Amino acid sequence: MELQAIYVQILALVLFSIGILTAISRRNMFFVLMGVELALNAVNLSFIGFSKTFAGDLSVAGQIVPLFTIAVAAAEACVGLAMVILIFRNQESVDTDNYSGMKG
Amino acid sequence: MLALVYFIILAVIAVGAALCVLLSKHPLYGALSLIVSMLSLAGIYGLLGSPFIGVVQVMVYAGAIMMLLTFVIMVLNSAKDGNTPRFDKVSLFVFPAVIALAGLLGFALVSVPFGFNAEAVRGSVAFTSSTLFNVEEGSRGYFILFEAIGVLLLSAMAAAILMAKRRIGYTASEKEEN
Amino acid sequence: MTNLPLWLIPLFPLIGTIALAAISLASSGSKKGPSEGLTGGLAVLFPALAFVAVVAFAANMPVEGIQQTLCNWMDIGSFRADIGFLFDPLSRIMLLFVTGIGTLIAIYSLGYMHGDRGFARFFAYINLFLFSMIVLVLSDSLLLTFLGWEGVGLCSYLLIGFWNADLNNCKAANKAFIVNRVGDIGFILGMLCLAMVSGDLLNYAGLNAFLKDAANVEVIKLLLPIFSLAGILFFVGCTGKSAQIPLLTWLPDAMAGPTPVSALIHAATMVTSGVYLMARLSNLFVLIPGVMTIVVFVGLLTAFWAAIAGLFQNDIKKVLAYSTISQLGYMFMAAGVAAFDASIFHVFTHAFFKAALFLGAGAVIHSLAGEQDMRRMGGLLKKTPVTACVMIFAFFAIIGFPGFAGFWSKDLILERLYTFGDVGPIYYGIALLTAIITAIYMGRLIILTFFGKFRGGEELEKHVHEAPASMLVPMVVLAVGAVFSGYMWADMLGMTCFRDMLAPVVGSAQEAFRAAEVHVNPMMLACLGTAAAVIGMVIAWIAYGGNKHIPAPRVAYPSDGVQATTWTLFFDYVHAIFILLVNVLAWIVDKCVNQLVMFVQWIIGAIAVLLGDFASGFQVRKVRLQLCLSLVGVVVLTALVFIYGGII
Repeated sequence: MELQAIYVQILALVLFSIGILTAISRRNMFFVLMGVELALNAVNLSFIGFSKTFAGDLSVAGQIVPLFTIAVAAAEACVGLAMVILIFRNQESVDTDNYSGMKG
Repeated sequence: MLALVYFIILAVIAVGAALCVLLSKHPLYGALSLIVSMLSLAGIYGLLGSPFIGVVQVMVYAGAIMMLLTFVIMVLNSAKDGNTPRFDKVSLFVFPAVIALAGLLGFALVSVPFGFNAEAVRGSVAFTSSTLFNVEEGSRGYFILFEAIGVLLLSAMAAAILMAKRRIGYTASEKEEN
Repeated sequence: MTNLPLWLIPLFPLIGTIALAAISLASSGSKKGPSEGLTGGLAVLFPALAFVAVVAFAANMPVEGIQQTLCNWMDIGSFRADIGFLFDPLSRIMLLFVTGIGTLIAIYSLGYMHGDRGFARFFAYINLFLFSMIVLVLSDSLLLTFLGWEGVGLCSYLLIGFWNADLNNCKAANKAFIVNRVGDIGFILGMLCLAMVSGDLLNYAGLNAFLKDAANVEVIKLLLPIFSLAGILFFVGCTGKSAQIPLLTWLPDAMAGPTPVSALIHAATMVTSGVYLMARLSNLFVLIPGVMTIVVFVGLLTAFWAAIAGLFQNDIKKVLAYSTISQLGYMFMAAGVAAFDASIFHVFTHAFFKAALFLGAGAVIHSLAGEQDMRRMGGLLKKTPVTACVMIFAFFAIIGFPGFAGFWSKDLILERLYTFGDVGPIYYGIALLTAIITAIYMGRLIILTFFGKFRGGEELEKHVHEAPASMLVPMVVLAVGAVFSGYMWADMLGMTCFRDMLAPVVGSAQEAFRAAEVHVNPMMLACLGTAAAVIGMVIAWIAYGGNKHIPAPRVAYPSDGVQATTWTLFFDYVHAIFILLVNVLAWIVDKCVNQLVMFVQWIIGAIAVLLGDFASGFQVRKVRLQLCLSLVGVVVLTALVFIYGGII
């Protein structure tokens, strides 16, 4: 029994599903953010797992791109948390359902 | 064989921590579980032969981003909000939908055979950083992307400060009133 | 000296513009305005520096001219345009008098605009105008010329509406701008025509090389329809800028601007850029004789028509405006018979005497505290002798009195008209008639303004004073120019340095077009021309001289006879008919097409509303539920693709 590439992908899929579940089913704003981060991490993992199935240049690219994903995630977290603070100040609530300004 | 054992251990920790995120009541617990999940993911990166990304994962994700999140959770004192239920009726729809998506993707993964390539480049710290910052003729030009990301981070920081400020020009108007 | 870069010339006025604009903006808050000494100094310094630079270049210019490319402007695959400058004999002449007269008029404006709140703004505009005009003249491609062309149009607009507190000025500015747009569309389409053939043709050097290359004879024959179209379109552009039929109505209204502006832009420089363009494209125009005939006819008609209209004006500046249009008509006549050098020569002399006339009129208006109606002037010869002398010298120049500048250039044009083939004498006859009328209305202007008794009333009479020195000096300089500039090309005296200078640019085109030169006795034509001037003067003296009773203005001045002073000899009516037609068309479009579109719009709107109501039944306020639904949608779509290998 050796470590197979498919195991990594399965793990990534599981983490991604849990992340999406957290992001959509939880109503607390922080859990939504954390779910998104988790899903992003799972994508990174998938990226690296796949990069190891290629040789040479492609494998290099697959390992460089997650670096940039992490950096963009940092920017996203930065702005996202600022927005949370802003909304929290206006609404005095972290419940996303309270933020809904759309009236159907 | 040993790699598989390590992988299983780390994967169990990661999934367990992720489930803790999903199920925990207080966001602070969720954030701490997320950090655990990310650290174990960093371990998996190292195991797969990309130690540099593992290091960056620990520093940026587990270190910086989650620290920021934890900090904000602690600053906003009513972050827990006991009135909000963990799961509600909508969640009943979400679970089957996500499970269906996961099943579909899993099916897609299984249906295509692929395996590790022995010639894959090991993303050691020295190699990755020299690729990233190679400014010579004929390089892949990642350093330009790196600069762009730097600008993006700077602008995100500026935007965050502008948004989180109490009110723009607040002190000025206060002075006028006095 | 020749190794100086050419972009220095336009750079100076640009710096001036920026500096003066900065001063103007910085002082916009204060009530008093910026210091006139500093502003005026800057305002005169930069045009003067440009003039010095031009003189330096002109003195050291090699025969073939200087061509320099500053940088690349645009490069889009098949088409490439550079910002390049071309300093050749033609642009040398134009630049010399543009910057020279520009400097003189800047000095004059120091006195004229004294005490005006918009002092700095005015000079910023003037400098911007000079910059645009220099770019227009100095550029080596049509594209850059067009940039300057638009720039001078903009400055013209800004300066006509300079006193923008008065709605009429704004209307006049709008009119000038909009009428010019019509011409500019011609220019753009003309450029497109040329660019359709090849992108290189937009460059003057490229165009001339293409047209002169013997290998291209067959190609050119094939392309003649396109070139004819381009020629007509360029000529439309020229009619807009140079106020020829049918786009002439804006120039009389443009007199709403300050008088130095009228002198600089609407008499000496900007309006002659159409003539300049004709000369620049001379190699193109000589290929298309049909268009050239149109040019001659338009020139003749404009000159005659404007001269007649000038007879009936009472506003001193409007008379001059019509005379400008009329003189421009002469220039186009000359261009139309391929006498490009003669037309540029007339541009040159005209710049001097018309600027002198306008500045003189400005001095008269200044001394009469804003009075512009000639019926309320008279007898100013004794009160403002210097102004009167300047105006009278310029008057002799414009009517073509022997020895003065206008005589040489106008005589030359008449001669070229006469020697042009079979129809030449007919052209000549009309032009000569126009010359008589010119003498009549200019004589009327001089007589009503400077002779006889003062008719403006006692109160105004006490106020009359000679203009300050800063206004008189440029006037005198221009008057000297009006007398002597003609000797640059006094054909009869054997002085032809002007023609020799221009020969490298337009010579070959002229020779190609005017193959059979008929030899006539130049003395006879000169005598006829002189006779025309004298006859005109005599008629003017009989009609208006002495102390004849001049009908007083019917109403008090500002609201005086709208009919009389804005009378543009039916052209406004012609335009009104066009506008009416367009309005009718617009009405039809509004009623039919628009209603149809509205109907379609309504149907689509109704469908959208129905669908929307239908869909809003599904809409839930829970964002999360919607996300969930979209997830399900993704799953279903992906599953479909998996199962069927595609949606269908």
